[in-house]
Amino acid sequence: MMDKYTFLQKIGIYSSLALFILFMLLPFVEMFIASLRPLTHLFSRPDVPVGETMTFMDFMSRFYSDKMSFQAYRDMWVTVPQLPRYIFNSVFLSTAVTFFSMCFIVPAAYAYARFDFRGKTTSLTLFLAVNMFSGAVLLIPLYKLLRVYGLLNTYWAMIIPGVAFLIPTGIWLLKSFLEKIPYELEEAAFVDGASRLYTLRRVILPLAVPGLIVVGVAMFIGAYAQQFLFAITFNQDRDYMPLPAGIFEFIGYQDVLWNEMMAASLVGILPVLLIFLFMQKHLIAGLTSGAVKE
Amino acid sequence: MSNLIQMLKPKTKSQTTTLFAWALIAPAALVMFWIVVWPLYETFRLSFTNSNLGTLMGGAEYIGWENYEKAIGGRKFPSIVTRTFYWMFLSVGLKIVLGLIGASLLASNIRARGVFRALVMPPWIVPIAIGCFGWLWLYNGHFGLISNFIEMVGITDGPFSFLAYKQSAFYSAVVTDVWIGTPMVTLFFLAAIQGVPRDLYEAAYVDGASRWYRFRRITLPQIMPTIVSMALLSAIWTFNSFEIIWILTEGGPRGGTTTLIIDTFKTAIFSYKFGAGATRAVLVVLILGVFSLIYLTVLDKLNKRYGYSGVQK
Amino acid sequence: MKNITKALFLAVIGAGLIAPVQAEEVHMIMCGGEIREADQAVISAFESKHSGVTVNAEAVPWGTCQDKSMTLAAAGDPVGLAYMGSRTLKQLARSGLIIPVDISDEQQGMYQPGILNTVTDGGKTWGFPHAFSTKALFINCGLVEEAGMACVAPKTWAGMYNMAKAINDNTSAAGVGLAAKDFDNTMHQFLNYLYSNGGSVSNADTGEITFNSPETVETLEFVGKLAGVAQEGPSGYERSQLTQLYNDGQIGMYINGPWGAGQHNDNIAEIVVPIPAGPSGESGTLLITDSIAVFKGSANEDLAMELASMLSSGEAQYDLDMSWGLTPIMQYEKMMDDVYYTTDYWKVFVDPIGSGGPEPMFEDFKALQAGINSAIQGIILGEGSAADLVAEAAETLAEGL
Repeated sequence: MMDKYTFLQKIGIYSSLALFILFMLLPFVEMFIASLRPLTHLFSRPDVPVGETMTFMDFMSRFYSDKMSFQAYRDMWVTVPQLPRYIFNSVFLSTAVTFFSMCFIVPAAYAYARFDFRGKTTSLTLFLAVNMFSGAVLLIPLYKLLRVYGLLNTYWAMIIPGVAFLIPTGIWLLKSFLEKIPYELEEAAFVDGASRLYTLRRVILPLAVPGLIVVGVAMFIGAYAQQFLFAITFNQDRDYMPLPAGIFEFIGYQDVLWNEMMAASLVGILPVLLIFLFMQKHLIAGLTSGAVKE
Repeated sequence: MSNLIQMLKPKTKSQTTTLFAWALIAPAALVMFWIVVWPLYETFRLSFTNSNLGTLMGGAEYIGWENYEKAIGGRKFPSIVTRTFYWMFLSVGLKIVLGLIGASLLASNIRARGVFRALVMPPWIVPIAIGCFGWLWLYNGHFGLISNFIEMVGITDGPFSFLAYKQSAFYSAVVTDVWIGTPMVTLFFLAAIQGVPRDLYEAAYVDGASRWYRFRRITLPQIMPTIVSMALLSAIWTFNSFEIIWILTEGGPRGGTTTLIIDTFKTAIFSYKFGAGATRAVLVVLILGVFSLIYLTVLDKLNKRYGYSGVQK
Repeated sequence: MKNITKALFLAVIGAGLIAPVQAEEVHMIMCGGEIREADQAVISAFESKHSGVTVNAEAVPWGTCQDKSMTLAAAGDPVGLAYMGSRTLKQLARSGLIIPVDISDEQQGMYQPGILNTVTDGGKTWGFPHAFSTKALFINCGLVEEAGMACVAPKTWAGMYNMAKAINDNTSAAGVGLAAKDFDNTMHQFLNYLYSNGGSVSNADTGEITFNSPETVETLEFVGKLAGVAQEGPSGYERSQLTQLYNDGQIGMYINGPWGAGQHNDNIAEIVVPIPAGPSGESGTLLITDSIAVFKGSANEDLAMELASMLSSGEAQYDLDMSWGLTPIMQYEKMMDDVYYTTDYWKVFVDPIGSGGPEPMFEDFKALQAGINSAIQGIILGEGSAADLVAEAAETLAEGL
């Protein structure tokens, strides 16, 4: 009974939800529509004669034009010939960052979740403190560092900073998951004479898989989202640029080719959206099963 | 030699544990040290030099506190700091409120819950830069959707360029920042809400409590730890939020959207004044550090007074 | 020495993450997003002349281009040569990142008056001038006549303002297109007005800032006045966006370069006129050049220098100017008979060259831009009197010189 709503309440909930979602999706809707319109229509206001106000019909005219087509989707490959490369780079970079981060995160998170040892709280706090900086603060020394090691203008230039800034969050997230795994299972293994490493591999890891997936996806999303800054600062080589930096190129020309830019953006985020669609059930279930307590 | 090995061998169980734990953490710690700690030190060191384009690779001179004097004493510094804090408080506040609303809505017992939850996620998944381009287009004065819409509805009688005026540019940036940050906050709040034991609600329901009462007296206190930690995390990220403002306004008409981090970037990267830029970076870290300390102290005091349980730092 | 350094460098990397620079490659960056045909022809000729040498010409859009060349150079990985805005030359020169170029006396004599000033600092020339533009005022006759006025060139600021006001009041379009976004061409638009009012930014010889003058204050006030009859929200617009508005019939007139005719829709009947003169000066214009700079310490410095010289010499330059629709950078009539800029359209852009002013050469050119743009935005947003804003800008400029 507690969960039943009155009709009015239902309307309230659904309409609020609709508004909320409209807010979240508005830019994408507009981006899609913009990508369908020819440039001339994009750069035109609804025609309002002197002294009159815009009517609803005038407003709707900006959405529809008889010249709408998917032309921009074809043109964009020509305007920015490296577009497929950029999309590939974005996915590649995010995957690489996720992979490397996980290599560092998993052992560390396990240590924090299971053991009590000297320096535990201090080091944990220090890791968290890293969250306090955005990469923007450390750009210059990072630049010099990468330069000294000759890593500028390579994929590494974007992978390494990305990994470094994701590790703290990853450790924190995974730690919460691992803490949920009952210790008794490990104890049972010890009693049977297993070494720590064996326990980690054969007992814990399989159980931790849901958590690993959640953290992995979260890392992937994080990596995908923060590529821009590192890419434009540490990498000047077109071949290695990820998508957002590539999209930036559309702005550089005399006329900003908005329709193609929007088309390229939408196409570019498709891989991530697809991945998310596949994983979303697990992701949300993992996060909402009360596993994350903070 | 064997003496050395004898010395290093862990004597007690806890020593084994410590060693093993540190062995696991070492790789991560090393990466952090290399990428974060050293650059931090270097930023600190650079802030005392006049490093610029010609001296990037060496040859910069130490100029003591000069950079700091110029930065803090600059005409615009107080307003930049105030603006940054205003930006942070406003944006985080809105994110928390919207996050709570969204989470409550999504936690309610409606059909197609999963679909709605997925629909709320895109701003988080999509690269920040791309979302910003979308908003850039929306905010366009002559051709943008929002401007056209408010003109049709009658609020304005002509095009309105949101990003051309100091006030509107600032609030537009806030809206975009909130847009980007809300999904994640919503998700975490949703997780927290679902972790609240159901019997608490049932007991209240049986006693005749209204939904609003149940929300206020059960849900909120129960998820307070999450709210508190999300707020701090979000505050730090918002303070450092760079891309959004940069793409929309590059610091805004006449500095109207210039926050501390934008100023840092402009000085360091845009104008190639690495020394002065490093100074501002150090100031950002200091200010944030002080803020966090104050926040956590206040939290601690509140804890002691009201006895919230399970607040993790 | 170079070989030893290179070997050490490679040894340190080890994993071969960086492809070793080919011994015979010249890396060139072209700002503007595309490599023009005329330039491409020269590059091909260069490659034929030097067998075994390849030119890696990379086209980068203006937004990221200059920073890219400069960052690469600062990081010790310079390109061979780059085609960039001349405003960057002073900073690059002072930072020791480019080398001075040798332009023959004969060629120096060919340039239009004022051109060499844009590439000279400390008595040396730092780049080969490679593209040149001047500005004029484009007016949409359709809108002018709809507003009830005759489509004739306004000679003074007062005339220009009246025409704009008429359009603003009597049609649904705005009178004039005003750029005030923090972009380089905002500063350029302002300088056009300034140079038409007898004002100046700095004294090239003494290095003194002359920005803070009554002429400048007058100019800034005029800009403020124009804001009243300009499109809404000037602070959100830079010149290419004004072109869009112009094409959509939303503004009656605006300042643009010779490429404007090509950008405008065919159905707009327009006239092109010299920038109207202010009360304290004569009609002038802004001289902007882009040039090719040669970077210090690149793999094949000599080859780069040679290529740069080839690209910007006499005939090659003429081909470029003509095919790309640029204001002629040299006085080609001294060299050949049939030049492309004899039409009325071109006269408007060529005649004012002698009385025009250059884009000022500042070391911290970003400060120059920030200072002037801040003043412009200030007057438009109503944040101070013109006199105060100009004084404030002059201070910012003084720091950047």
